[in-house]
Amino acid sequence: MIAEARSGPVVTREQTRARYPDVSDVVERPDGVRIAWERYGSGEPAIVFVPTWSIVHSRIWKAQIADFARRHRVITFDAPGNGRSDRPLDPAAYEEQAMADDIFRVLDAAGVERAVLVCLSRAAQCTLLAAGDHPERLLALAFLNPAVRLGEGLASRPEYSFDDELPTDAGWAKENLPYWRRDFRGYLEFFFGQAFNEPHSTKQIEDAVGWGLETDPETLAATRRRPSVQPPDLIRLAGAIRCPTLVIQGAADLITGPGRGIGLAAAIPGARLVLVEGGGHLTESRDPIRVNLLLRELVASLPPTRGGLDAGA
Amino acid sequence: MRAREPDESGVAVSSDGVRIAWESFGRGAPTIVLLPSAPIVHSRQWKGQVHDLSRRHRVITFDGRGNGRSDRPVTPEAFAGDRIVADVLAVLDATATPAAVLVGLCGDGVWPAVQLAVSEPARVLGIVAISVGVPRLAPPHPYRLGHDFDAELESYDGWAKINRHHWRTDYADFARFFFSAIATEPHSTKVIDDCVEWALEGSVDAMIADAEAPPPPEANAVEAICRAVQCPMVIVHGDRDHCQPIARAERLRDLTGAPLIVLRDADHLAPGRHPVAVNLIIRDFVAGLEVAR
Repeated sequence: MIAEARSGPVVTREQTRARYPDVSDVVERPDGVRIAWERYGSGEPAIVFVPTWSIVHSRIWKAQIADFARRHRVITFDAPGNGRSDRPLDPAAYEEQAMADDIFRVLDAAGVERAVLVCLSRAAQCTLLAAGDHPERLLALAFLNPAVRLGEGLASRPEYSFDDELPTDAGWAKENLPYWRRDFRGYLEFFFGQAFNEPHSTKQIEDAVGWGLETDPETLAATRRRPSVQPPDLIRLAGAIRCPTLVIQGAADLITGPGRGIGLAAAIPGARLVLVEGGGHLTESRDPIRVNLLLRELVASLPPTRGGLDAGA
Repeated sequence: MRAREPDESGVAVSSDGVRIAWESFGRGAPTIVLLPSAPIVHSRQWKGQVHDLSRRHRVITFDGRGNGRSDRPVTPEAFAGDRIVADVLAVLDATATPAAVLVGLCGDGVWPAVQLAVSEPARVLGIVAISVGVPRLAPPHPYRLGHDFDAELESYDGWAKINRHHWRTDYADFARFFFSAIATEPHSTKVIDDCVEWALEGSVDAMIADAEAPPPPEANAVEAICRAVQCPMVIVHGDRDHCQPIARAERLRDLTGAPLIVLRDADHLAPGRHPVAVNLIIRDFVAGLEVAR
């Protein structure tokens, strides 16, 4: 089973893109893990779409890239574990601080001094760490359906052992390594069915399952074994944010629950909270026009940046 | 909620007194009239086209008799082919449109457009014929044959759901079957839901009357009418159309000399499922007309 799972990522031909990157490159961490990043378009301010859980990769932003690249430098990158980045099996590679550092590594590699950060779900805590490390480099922040241990969790989502063989594989019992080894696609279809609980999501589910199949159970298991920043530190980091901040939260989110976005927005001074009625966990994919217009508003609210200062790449 | 609200709306009175509700969007020549596939659905079937085409053109839609805001006659004669042609003409007159490009889908849209282009050539600048349903140009799909519309059955399965008794007892079941059967591409759930909703807004009595309407002319007469079309035309047909066989589109091409654009892997409801492709085809076709220059 394990040998089969490690036989490598499923190689699928990528769909055509609405917009192709102008630069596609790799930056290396001190420990040698390679992080793949891309740059699209030009124009200030630069907008960085921070990668979420490695169950997907940077194509999760496909509905944002083409739109924002018409006016802005757009930077995307793949977290370790999926996309064109390495797939280390050491959980340390997925620690939140390492992922926060990746943001600045990629900014440096792309020649971007200051940027708007847009993060989704599991990238939220890394982004809070990044905001604490280098507030001077952040022009604005957007948190989409943040997986952050603030506010109310989702009571309806049961917790099962991840490592032990379970007597059932119904529902969230699929969040389980022995099950992943048996039927990784089955888990992905369940997970994204929950993430896209809105009607008419078949295309989004199909896309996301395909991206999930580009990683494998052992790699994805490693991403789960990292320690998490604790709530007191999260409150301190959130409370220290001074740049304009937008939180977009699906009111019907079945993955992290609406309480998380509400809790994070309450902890950030002056943050704007937008609840998407009927919205699930991946609003950037299921409700892209709404999300893009909200992001545009956030960017438009910023004072003009002097493009000449940091526009060189 | 609509992407584009109409600028004007009104009611045309057709030659037999049936009132036909129309709407007009935008301005710019030539006017484009989007014909309804009625009575099964109404003018919202063009929701993927109206907002786009009306940025450059005056676009007119209307609800076909039997659905939407139009009257719902229940006699078979009210659904004879010439009545539908008269409805288009009534809408052109009511909207003071001397001539227009006609866009139609399936039998309810394409066949009246072809007939009007022949009977009133001065009023039709061009035809976009989508998912061609001109009757008799080729046999229907075999699975649509052999079902008795009037038979009372123990149960109604598959295409046998096209049955007056089933429509009376469970029209919603028919509608969901029918639109699922002709929208088989992946990611069609929204198109299907929309069509079922529009179908349920219509009249079952009108649907039955439409099913009992006088038959179209014999094949040689239909072909003669198609051959007589003088205006420019473009034909669009999916190669997986489960409602109308592509052989009908190929025959229409052969009879008229109009180009046939085959949409690969596409089923019947191309305007809903492939709006960008269809809109670009309509745009290009209209831009290429003499009158547009």
